[in-house]
Amino acid sequence: MYPPKIGYVIPDNVKEAVEFLESHDDAKPLAGGHSLIPMLKLRIIRPSYLVEIRRLPELHYIRVEGNVVKIGSMSTHYDIVKANIPLLSETASKIGDPQVRNMGTIGGSISHLDPAADYPAALMALDAKVKIRSNRGERVENFSSFAKDMFTPDLNQGEIVTEIEIPLLKDYKYSYQKLERRAGDFAIVGVAVALKVNGDVIEDARIGLTAVNKTAVRATEAEKILMSGKISEKLIEDAATKAMDYANPTSDIRGSAEYKKKMVKVMTRRAILAALSR
Amino acid sequence: MKVFEKDQKVKIHLKINGQDYETETEPRRLLVHVLRELGFTGVHIGCDTSNCGACTIIMNGRSVKSCTVLAVEADGSEILTVEGLAKDGKLHPIQEAFWEKHALQCGYCTPGMIMEAYWLLKENPNPTEEEIREGISGNLCRCTGYQNIVEAIKLASQKLRMELPKAH
Repeated sequence: MYPPKIGYVIPDNVKEAVEFLESHDDAKPLAGGHSLIPMLKLRIIRPSYLVEIRRLPELHYIRVEGNVVKIGSMSTHYDIVKANIPLLSETASKIGDPQVRNMGTIGGSISHLDPAADYPAALMALDAKVKIRSNRGERVENFSSFAKDMFTPDLNQGEIVTEIEIPLLKDYKYSYQKLERRAGDFAIVGVAVALKVNGDVIEDARIGLTAVNKTAVRATEAEKILMSGKISEKLIEDAATKAMDYANPTSDIRGSAEYKKKMVKVMTRRAILAALSR
Repeated sequence: MKVFEKDQKVKIHLKINGQDYETETEPRRLLVHVLRELGFTGVHIGCDTSNCGACTIIMNGRSVKSCTVLAVEADGSEILTVEGLAKDGKLHPIQEAFWEKHALQCGYCTPGMIMEAYWLLKENPNPTEEEIREGISGNLCRCTGYQNIVEAIKLASQKLRMELPKAH
């Protein structure tokens, strides 16, 4: 299968990339291409030009600065796995398969914004910020508002994601649990959990869910339950049950809506227990 | 900045299995097409949807599915295909292990499987069975049930670790 005929642009830097994208309405940035190239083959999109941003050196970095981690948008899933970032590296390790992780990028993934993608669960739990660049300058958005709707990031023509910023959760226990139909598939349900434990209480709980809504969500009421008393089987059970309130899945090839909703409870419980056992 | 129009032929340079190649391609063509035209037909087109892994090659040190990379994107890259593994008429230890463990039936997935095993063993020279199975989760085999492939990669890992002291 060939993609449709396309022009191709290799900019020398981000400035040239955004200028070209701004002045060509149906040009698209090309990151790792592992969603974009399959969509081209299927003629779901027919851009005039692809603007290659994957190899721009200024978008390749992972830096810890004090209590935050700054990630250049063209960092691959492999780079992120290797960087040992609490919660995010484990999430990246569950994406696709090794070859996909070698090419796919975090910036590309969140700009595509598949509702069943893995990163959004962790990025919601982490209150990530997204840095966006255009001809007119830079803006920073919370990931929760950046992810407007399925396949609909808060990006205008001529804008690209340049950086993702997350807090460095040094003293947290964490886990990303993914239910998949077969290895390498998208999530049926994905749950990212990060917990700050002090003795037998949880001081801070963060629970992000992916694949069970149009966009990823943070299960705040479930988090509150986890922080409401001593850690016990019942507390975990109640929190996992509450997480189901945040799931509004649709029936598809990967399962019925009813099944997925029930699995939110199962996977949330597993994620909490896996995190606590770290 | 370079701008190529949709019908324009783009000159690209690739270093494949240690040799330099220059060729021309339209921007829409995939790396797997160009590699096969240059004679590297060990790079197979299976599903063409980045699921099956038959087109797996090593590009700049990392395994990738060449059906999901545009040829223009690979300009300037170093590429290793299955044809580049055997040296001086002697099979690579991974190829030997696939032979000895009978890790194939029809053989269609084999070049991709071997290239992914090559990358896996470079990253992790002594993988557990679970790590091997996860490592080849992007490569589909419809004949073997994977058992002998996993055995072959285990054997290859032993062979390569025994070879290592000699190489240095």
